[in-house]
Amino acid sequence: MTLLDAKLVSMRFGGVVALSDVNVHQEAGETLGVIGPNGSGKTTLVNVITGHLTPQNGAVLFDGAPLLGRKPFQIAAAGLSRTYQSVRVFSELTTRENIATALLDAPRPLPSEGVAETAEWLGLTPRFDARAGSLTLYEQRRLEILMRLVQQPKLLMLDEPVGGLSSAEVRATINLLSELKARCTIFVIEHTMKVIRELADRVIVLVAGEKIADGPPAEILSDQRVIEKYLGSVDA
Amino acid sequence: MSDATIIILLSMITTGLMLGMIFSLVAVGVTIIYGSIWMPNAANGQFFLLAALLLWSASVSWGLHPALAALIIIGLSVPFSYALEILLIRRFYDVPNRNISYFVLSLGITQILAGIFSITYGIWSDQFQLPPLVGGLTMLGPFPMVNNRLAAMLIAALLLVALFTLLRYHRYGRALRAVFQNREAAALRGVDVRAVYRMSFVLGNAVVFAGGVLFACAYSFDFSIAWTMAITAFAIMIIGGPGSVLGALVIGMVFGLTQAAVSIFASPTIAAFSYLGAMLVILLFRPSGLFAR
Amino acid sequence: MNVLTSRWLPHAIFAFAAFAMPLVFSGNRYFAFIVGITLLSVLWATGMNLLYGYTGLMPLMFAGIAGISAYVTIGLSAAGWSFWLAMLVGSIAASLVGIVLGLPSLRLRGFYFTLCSLVIQSVITLAFVYFVNLTNGDVGISHIPLPELPGGGQLTGTSYELVLAALTVIGVVVLTLLVESGFGHRLIAIREDDGLAETLGINVTRQRLAAFFIASLFASIGGALYAPYVGFVSPRSFDVLVSLNIWLMVAFGGRGTIWGPVVGAVILAPLPFLLQDYYMIKDVVYGLLIIGVIVLLPAGIVGGWKRKAAAGEPAPDVAQKTAPAR
Repeated sequence: MTLLDAKLVSMRFGGVVALSDVNVHQEAGETLGVIGPNGSGKTTLVNVITGHLTPQNGAVLFDGAPLLGRKPFQIAAAGLSRTYQSVRVFSELTTRENIATALLDAPRPLPSEGVAETAEWLGLTPRFDARAGSLTLYEQRRLEILMRLVQQPKLLMLDEPVGGLSSAEVRATINLLSELKARCTIFVIEHTMKVIRELADRVIVLVAGEKIADGPPAEILSDQRVIEKYLGSVDA
Repeated sequence: MSDATIIILLSMITTGLMLGMIFSLVAVGVTIIYGSIWMPNAANGQFFLLAALLLWSASVSWGLHPALAALIIIGLSVPFSYALEILLIRRFYDVPNRNISYFVLSLGITQILAGIFSITYGIWSDQFQLPPLVGGLTMLGPFPMVNNRLAAMLIAALLLVALFTLLRYHRYGRALRAVFQNREAAALRGVDVRAVYRMSFVLGNAVVFAGGVLFACAYSFDFSIAWTMAITAFAIMIIGGPGSVLGALVIGMVFGLTQAAVSIFASPTIAAFSYLGAMLVILLFRPSGLFAR
Repeated sequence: MNVLTSRWLPHAIFAFAAFAMPLVFSGNRYFAFIVGITLLSVLWATGMNLLYGYTGLMPLMFAGIAGISAYVTIGLSAAGWSFWLAMLVGSIAASLVGIVLGLPSLRLRGFYFTLCSLVIQSVITLAFVYFVNLTNGDVGISHIPLPELPGGGQLTGTSYELVLAALTVIGVVVLTLLVESGFGHRLIAIREDDGLAETLGINVTRQRLAAFFIASLFASIGGALYAPYVGFVSPRSFDVLVSLNIWLMVAFGGRGTIWGPVVGAVILAPLPFLLQDYYMIKDVVYGLLIIGVIVLLPAGIVGGWKRKAAAGEPAPDVAQKTAPAR
């Protein structure tokens, strides 16, 4: 079943083309990875799909319903949730209050046993009464994911979920995310190739706002064009 | 056109130019301070009035020559600004969202100065009028021009040119622009950010004082000028673009000429309404102002 | 429910004090009037707290909204309406205006919103001066008739203060209920990070405008009752300095807490009366207070206590390594 279908999406900022005629297609249950150099339009793509930006052209269907023109809160209510590249929690509120805030306007809130179980799974239970701003980066990353999971999204878009983490934490996050695949469909932007290689069922490559490749990770990550344009410059 | 019409027109243009230059001066002072420190100084109107009142005291009560007194007063603004900077302003240099703290702080300063003025000068009179800087009339063809206002205009124009040159070509002006564009990057490039802050606060206030002194030389005034000037300077800064000196100059002149025209053809309330309306529109639809880079 | 251990205990004490004070001072009109003005100030500070404390916006047009309600109520009463009906219509009309005036908050943040609200307040004040046939301009309106009572007679003296006490207590209770409800939690989320709140499905626009409507109701009910109570209004009764004084009560007491603004209003509202003999230095004292709050008490009195209390608790072990995820 098709979950996300973005067609011919184009986004310009003044004279700068951020996305040009990008097509993205994702099946329910399929983990889609997005890679590309900095400034290639990955985050812009997420911003367009989640209603933070209005593209000049294109159409986005989510679960069969058009998304363009809907506001971010409506898109969240439709079951499409996202995280941010730089970690974002309510840092003055406690972990518990952060979770409660995420539950406020969730159309399908997780029942409280489910919340407790998920928090336990993410290792956040002991930190419930700590101020979110006092958590470590890794804890804040997990809190971000927990705040999305209590809303039971159909699709979770993660923007560089291991950014700034140590290699042990990256390892642990990969394990968490592979277990997460059983709970919801994942769309993940990542620079760390290990994450893409181990998690993604399919990968798209964005370069300068254009999709230059789309296919299984093993094939894409060995594609000569991709290596030239991108992987050559980054530790893979 | 009859002579009478031309006289009205001429007086409108000269009044407009004069007001415009004073507006520009004050707005440049305000925008320099906002551009560097991020301090929206609502007390600028009170500073303006302070300079005007001091000049009145010096020349009317103590009998100093207005020109000498004006120089002394502008000079006094330097220790005044330094004291404020040390006591209050520097505490907030690194506070997040410091512009709102500064705004409230400057409203507090406004209250204090307004209170002091009503205690000290409130007993004198409603209107303050200075002896002219220079006497006599100059005939522009058949049309008489008051020398005193011509002199004030000339000084204001010279000050504006000097200020503009300083900001464009002097080391400080370049440092100020660097700080305005990106404080961290400027610091990395070796600009002493705090020194620029201090310099901006002192220079900005000196310019506001100069505006007040010139205004007092050319026109009679009362306490209400403080609030009018504060709102006008803010409107000019917002419309011209916070931190943009060119914006302050151009919009200041536009405001001065509009004010002169409107006060002939309609009531001053309409002028105030139109400033506030223009400011609202800019705030809502182009908060970086018309002259933002 | 045991009142003594209930979380409503502070409210009960406050209600007792609010009703007792007018009775205690019923023999002295001057002191009773100070109590009445203080109660009104508590109501206003509580309303502004919803915006400044819980939504994170500093609305300097607050007094202007109170003024709109006061003038509409006076006008309708003069046209023969019952005061209470006029107050209802005036308050709702002013609160709808409040929603419109809150629209800039959808685009502007922080200082820019505050500046915008200052401009709006200036426009409202100019309008009060300009539309002379509605407001009598700078001269103001005096001899405003007192509200009539259903059984005949007028609301006056101690009974007026008791009505103010009742509305103030209701105001504080309503704010408590609001901030403890989902609405309050949404507002706090918006105050902390409106983008994140929106991403989590919160309709930021609707919550903000609702906050403006409710806060404006506080402002305008207070404004409608202020006019007959004082007996005189002019554009100066509702200018930016009034907004600023209400803001000062909220900031001084502690924004974002229920009792901070109440304490702030109780301390600051009687001040002008106490300083009456030193009338000249009133502005200076207010200015010094504003600067003092900004420099020394950014969290306000009650906020400062809360912070101290929190610091006294065992510090959360930040260095503690959490159990690695399974």
